[in-house]
Amino acid sequence: MKYFIKRVGFMALTLFAVCALTFFLMNVIPGGTAELVLKHTFVGLEESVTDEQLNQISDRYDLDDPLYLQFFKWVKEAVLKGDIGTSYVFKKPVLYLLALRLPATIQLAVVSMLIAILAGVSLGIYSALRENKISDHILRIVTLFGVSMPGFWVALLLILIFSLKLKLVPVTGYGSLENLLLPATALSLHSVAAVMRVTRTSMLETLGQEYIRFAKAKGLPIWKIVSRHALKNAMLPVITVIGFQMGSLLGGTVVIEKIFAWPGIGSLLVDSISARDLPVVQGCVLAIVTMFLFVHFFVDILYTHLDPRIRYG
Amino acid sequence: MKNKNSPLIILLIILLTCAILTTSGCSSTENEAEDAVSGMEATSGSDSASQTAGGSENNTLVLGEMWDIESINPIDGDAGTLICEKAAVTETLVGANENFSLKPGLATSWKQLDEDTWEFKLRNNVTFHDGSEMTAKEVKFTLEKVISENPKVASMLNIDSIEAVDNYTIKIKTKEINPILPGILHYPDTAIISPSSYDEKGEFVKPVGTGPYKFESFDDQTRTLTVVKNENWWGGKVGLDKMIIKGIPDPNTRAMAIENGELDFTVDVPYSETDRINAIDGINVEKYKTPRVYKIDLNLKHEPLEDVRVRQAMSYAINRSDIAENVLYNVGEAAGGPFLPTMVWANKSLKPYSQNLKKADELLTAAGWVDTDGDGIRDKDGKPLKLNLMTYAARPGLPPMAEAITAQLKEAGIDAETEVLEMGSIDDRREKGNWDLYLAAYNIAMVPDPEYILTNWYMTNGTDNGPGYSNPKVDALIKEARKITDLNERYKKFNEVESIVYDEQPMIIVAYYGCAIVKKDYVKGYVFDPTAHDYRINADMHLENKS
Repeated sequence: MKYFIKRVGFMALTLFAVCALTFFLMNVIPGGTAELVLKHTFVGLEESVTDEQLNQISDRYDLDDPLYLQFFKWVKEAVLKGDIGTSYVFKKPVLYLLALRLPATIQLAVVSMLIAILAGVSLGIYSALRENKISDHILRIVTLFGVSMPGFWVALLLILIFSLKLKLVPVTGYGSLENLLLPATALSLHSVAAVMRVTRTSMLETLGQEYIRFAKAKGLPIWKIVSRHALKNAMLPVITVIGFQMGSLLGGTVVIEKIFAWPGIGSLLVDSISARDLPVVQGCVLAIVTMFLFVHFFVDILYTHLDPRIRYG
Repeated sequence: MKNKNSPLIILLIILLTCAILTTSGCSSTENEAEDAVSGMEATSGSDSASQTAGGSENNTLVLGEMWDIESINPIDGDAGTLICEKAAVTETLVGANENFSLKPGLATSWKQLDEDTWEFKLRNNVTFHDGSEMTAKEVKFTLEKVISENPKVASMLNIDSIEAVDNYTIKIKTKEINPILPGILHYPDTAIISPSSYDEKGEFVKPVGTGPYKFESFDDQTRTLTVVKNENWWGGKVGLDKMIIKGIPDPNTRAMAIENGELDFTVDVPYSETDRINAIDGINVEKYKTPRVYKIDLNLKHEPLEDVRVRQAMSYAINRSDIAENVLYNVGEAAGGPFLPTMVWANKSLKPYSQNLKKADELLTAAGWVDTDGDGIRDKDGKPLKLNLMTYAARPGLPPMAEAITAQLKEAGIDAETEVLEMGSIDDRREKGNWDLYLAAYNIAMVPDPEYILTNWYMTNGTDNGPGYSNPKVDALIKEARKITDLNERYKKFNEVESIVYDEQPMIIVAYYGCAIVKKDYVKGYVFDPTAHDYRINADMHLENKS
């Protein structure tokens, strides 16, 4: 329990640090906030804005205040009222936008994660049991592709094959399972490969242990050995990788969401950065980091279950 | 057997529950947010969200729009174009013909009473989608709302006061003489809406206009806009029962979605794909010019570029027709002056500079730029002729065009280098003067009149005068022309301005922007409107035997 409180405290601290960092970074990158907000909302991207318009926007959003003041005002509102600001571009509360966009991204990330775990772990075990046989080599070459192919390329290939050629699923759309299949698969490919490689290595190491040889000698069938004895011990490094993959999945959604016109948070974040929609950028970063922290928290809890020797305190 | 319920299983179960929870859309964040945000208008048509391929009714057009739909409020910037031109929900007081001359819209006629007073006569028997009649009162309401909410349009209109004389007459006083007022009233953000577009608290609810289609729903989550036929449209018959407009920002995705039968109509697939898609059975691609140009600003404060001979040489070094054909795949055309030759006011004698390396060589040599050390790059006083060309990636034609231009400049002995930057960095550099060349795409018919562009681009201290060009003669001509209300006289003066800057090349106009309309064969009655920003949906569009 004491550990839990400490842990939550650290999470809050991390979030604060990330928000501060995001805020100041957004203010040091080239280009004026007010100018880009204006360009995004009132004028064509390429056209200049007048000083009068700049002043209007700066006054409306207090952009002329010293940075630390702006930041603390935001923190105060967020902590005391739970209000993390209003979008400069959409002119709607950031919380409302997050509520609209977050479910789609969580769906995508979670389903991709599931695909990565199921496919990665089972292929990894299979590969380990078939060590140095032809199927093992084929799988390893395939995963090498998986790790090295850029996401957008995979996504386009998948659309080409499954939508245009086989007519199985639509290219765009949101709200049903068939819409989810392609983006989730495209997003998970990289993670499947990563999880599989770690599973394979870790499994091989475990299978070489004394107690496994003993089990074999006892005449237990191989699937029993794997599921009862080896799997649990081999899982530790895999869980770690899965935790880290969550991070790359959340990053990967940006590209995938653009391609599939998926109404998630990734595309919102990118657009908001170029439009200098600070409150939305803050909100998206906050949401993504929170998810990431929770996944890691969860992973740590799992550790203690898998290996009783690990104790936090 | 304790290890039977392995944590892995638990992990999977938890993940699965999460997935199911989020898919069913009842995540706790949503409810919390909904509590936090009271009075949010969320019109959601979740049934239209999960469109499957070819799953729409017979007289429904599914349209793939090129930009994300961020807002449906027609008077606050980007959405004006969408709601007025693409969704055809609202209409403007003033229309425009193909050559950009003005024609009646919701106003039937207009005249100037004195230097700064205009009188507009409104069309009778026009009703809004809420059933109320459009009168001078609503026109006054709309224009005043636009002036208070949209600083850009407000500064263009420059209106002092608006008076409803009677039900069908409106009087507008401008702060100073403004001969292009009727032209500005063609701009989509000034389209007339009913006050019922807002609730009692003054919050925007939905666009209520007078157009052939009326707003039905906007799904906030998938950003899909649905409009339906307006049975009582003053203009007569409306071709479609329903239009579903989806924002699909990726050009490749738009191409694949129409190939897969998920869309009936879309625009701007990747230019390199246009011919391939046109060859597909049942889909046709049409290429048009839109009022936008690709141009290069030259930083005249940088030593080599202040010499007019260097600028002309650069213009001769660029092979415009080659770029139009091989970079833009003919979605666009080589350009001479800043205006399309089809525009009524354009100076039609200005032909595109054609590539002439001999002439470029003569000009550069005369300016003292010669290749003395034989490295293929010209130099002067020991300094090589080295320039950077910055551009951005938001418009797909720009980066490849920049590459082609730098390669062609190299042929003339100019060492140019492309940098594709984010808008913020470009602004920053322009502010600091740390740039040589800037390639961008600009709208040239925000207002159907040459004044707006020529003033902003070429007048000393013009708002979009990136090069820092200053020519007293140009300034004087523009000032004179602005006061002339006789259109022919006015255009003559402006034509002279166009000739001067054509010779001086403070900006190199490269190509006219194009638009590729991609539609299924069963989409009939579509007429391209060259005065629209990207494209305009016309009321005659209908579907024939959509299976």
